[in-house]
Amino acid sequence: MPVFRKPESIINTAGYCGGCGHGVIQRLIAESIEELGLQDHVIGCVDIACSFWSQDALNFEFIAGPHGRCAAVATGIKKVRPDATVYVHAGDGCSYVIGLSETIYAAIRDVPITMVVVNNGIFGMTGGQLNLATTLIGDKTLSSKAGRDPKTMGHPVDMLKTIANCDVAFAARGALYDVKHIDETKRYIKKGFQNQVENRGFSIIEVLSPCPTNWKLSPVDAMAKIKNETEKVFPVGVYVDRGGKD
Amino acid sequence: MSVDYVLMKGNEAIAEAALRAGCRFYAGYPITPQSEILEYMSVHMAKRGGVFIQGENEIASMSMLFGAAACGARCMSSSSGPGFDLKQEEISYLSAAGLPAVLVNAMRYGLGDGEITAGQDSYWVSTRGGGHGDKRLLVLAPASVQECADLTYLAFDLAEKYRNVVEILSDGAICQMIEKCVLPEPREHDMNKFDWALTGKPREARKNKAYNLSYYMGYEAYDRYMREKIESMFENEQRWEEFMLEDAELVLVAYGISSRACRSAVRQARRDGMKLGLIRPISVWPFPRRAFAGVPDSVRGYVSVEMSITTQMGEDIQLATEFSKPLYAYLTSKEIPTVEGIIAYCQEILAGNIKPTEVL
Ligand SMILES: Cc1ncc(C[n+]2csc(CCOP(=O)(O)OP(=O)(O)O)c2C)c(N)n1
Ligand code: SF4
Repeated sequence: MPVFRKPESIINTAGYCGGCGHGVIQRLIAESIEELGLQDHVIGCVDIACSFWSQDALNFEFIAGPHGRCAAVATGIKKVRPDATVYVHAGDGCSYVIGLSETIYAAIRDVPITMVVVNNGIFGMTGGQLNLATTLIGDKTLSSKAGRDPKTMGHPVDMLKTIANCDVAFAARGALYDVKHIDETKRYIKKGFQNQVENRGFSIIEVLSPCPTNWKLSPVDAMAKIKNETEKVFPVGVYVDRGGKD
Repeated sequence: MSVDYVLMKGNEAIAEAALRAGCRFYAGYPITPQSEILEYMSVHMAKRGGVFIQGENEIASMSMLFGAAACGARCMSSSSGPGFDLKQEEISYLSAAGLPAVLVNAMRYGLGDGEITAGQDSYWVSTRGGGHGDKRLLVLAPASVQECADLTYLAFDLAEKYRNVVEILSDGAICQMIEKCVLPEPREHDMNKFDWALTGKPREARKNKAYNLSYYMGYEAYDRYMREKIESMFENEQRWEEFMLEDAELVLVAYGISSRACRSAVRQARRDGMKLGLIRPISVWPFPRRAFAGVPDSVRGYVSVEMSITTQMGEDIQLATEFSKPLYAYLTSKEIPTVEGIIAYCQEILAGNIKPTEVL
C-alpha cells in the first residue's frame, strides 16, 4: 500500500497564506526532484515575491535575486554549474511582466533549466495589483478597482503560446483545483526536471494557482474560480514537447 | 630575462588581463566605446573554458552575472554611460549578497545618450552610485594601457578579498588608445574554494543562500560587518601617484585621460618657471585623501582637471584638504584637456584672474 509521506527536502514551514497554491507547487517540485534522485545537487532560484518563502522551506541551495530576473539569474548559474539541477520557482509578475524579456531569452537560448511559473493572475506579494499578462477581464484588483478593462489595460495573454514560438524542449500548463489536475501538473514538473537531466533544453511549466488572500475568496471558491474562469482563458495541457530529437 | 611587450588597446588589455586573472564568466551588451571588451571575450573566453554571453540588455547581463558570481566564478561585465545606468540594480543586489564582481565603466561624455567619445562625467555615478542602499564600490581609474591590465588583474583579488564589487573606471580615450603593455601571468581560479558559494550541496551539508546577508546575519551584525568592511577598504585601498609635488605652488588633481595632459603640463610649466605638481588618484573610491597630507606648505591651491560641466571630483578634493586651500576647476567637457590649456589656466590663477570654484 503506498505510504503518503512528506518529501524529506521540505525541512521548514513556509510563509505562504492558507490555501495558497505556492506551497502545493513547492511540494510538487520537491517530490519530482527526489523521485529523480537529484536532491543532492540542486540550486533553486526564487523571486523576491511569494516564491521567496520556498528558500526557507526546502533543503536546497537558493538564490534570490532582483524581482523579475529569475530566468537570467538561473541562466548564469546553469552556465557555470552545468551539472547542478537548476530551477526557477517564480510568479507570473516576475516571469511574464517585469521579467518577460528574461523569460523569453532563456527560452530563445534554450537554456537547460526547469522554470515553474505560478499564474495566480495577480501581484501577490505586494498586496494584489493588476498583472498585465494574466489578470482576467473584469477582475478587480487594487490597481483596477472597477475591474480589468481591455480598452485601457489590454487583454491577458497566453504566454505559453509566445514561448512556443521559440525552440524549447517543453512548455505546459497545469492546474491545482482537483487531484487529477495536481497529478497532471506533477507529471509536467517532473518532465521538466527529467529534461534537464537529459540536457534537452529549456522547460517551462505554468501552473494556474490560487491566491485566496488577494482574490478575497475562500480557498474553495478560489479553486472554483480557476476551474470555471481562469482555465477558459488559459487552457491546461502540453504546448511544446520537443521529445528526444537530440 | 626579456620582457614581452605587446601592443594593445586599453579595452583589449582589460579583457585579456581579466582572462589571465581567471575570469571565466562575461556577460554584456554592446555600447561604444567599450564594445571591444565584449568582442574580445566572445573570441577568447571559450578558448579558456569560460562562458561568454551577449545579453539581451545590460540588466539581464548583470542578472546572469549575479547568478554566476553567487556560484563562485570570477565574473566581469562592462559598459558605458546609459548602459552602465542599467547595471545599477544588480550592483545593489551583488553588494547586498556580498558577491565579488568586476565591472568596467568606460566613460563617454554627456547626459542621456550623450557622445560616444571620452568624458569624465560619470565620476559621481561611479563613486557615489551603485544603486540604492548603503555600500561602496572600489573604483580604480587606469591612466594607461598598462594600468588597464594591472588594475583589472588586481580588481579580481580585491573583489574577492572584500566580497565587493570593483569598478574599473576608464574613459573613451584610455580604452581606445594603443600602447605597449606587459601582460600579467595567467592563473586559474578555483570556483569551489569559497565557503559562501552555491555549489548545489548534498542533503546533509549546510546550504548556502545567495541573498541579502542581513537576512541571515541580522541587521546588527550586518551593519557592523558593512561598516568594518567599508572602513577597511577606505584605510587599505587608497592608491595614487604623486608627481613633482615638492615646492609646488599649484597642485593639479586629475585621473585617467586628463592626468596624462596634466603630467606633461607640470613638466612644461616647470621649464617655464611655474611650479605645478600633480596628484593622480588611481583609486577614486576610496579617494586618496592620504595623498593630500604630505602636500608642502608652498601650495596655494588645487586645480581639479576634469572632462565634465561642473567639478565632480572637486568635492572629494575639498574633503581631503578640509577646505584648507582654494579649489579651482579646469573643466573641458567633451574635449580632452591640452597642455597649453592647463598651463594658461594656471597662469591666470596665479595672476589672480580666476575665482576659486564654488559650485560643488
Ligand atoms: C524592481 C522592483 N519592482 C517592484 C518590486 C515590488 N514587487 C515585489 S514582488 C512584486 C510582484 C509579485 O508578483 P508575482 O511575480 O506575480 O509573484 P507572486 O507574489 O504573486 O507570487 C512586486 C511588484 C520589487 N521588489 N522590485
Ligand atoms: S499573497 Fe497570495 S500568492 Fe502570496 S502567499 Fe498569500 S495567497 Fe499565496
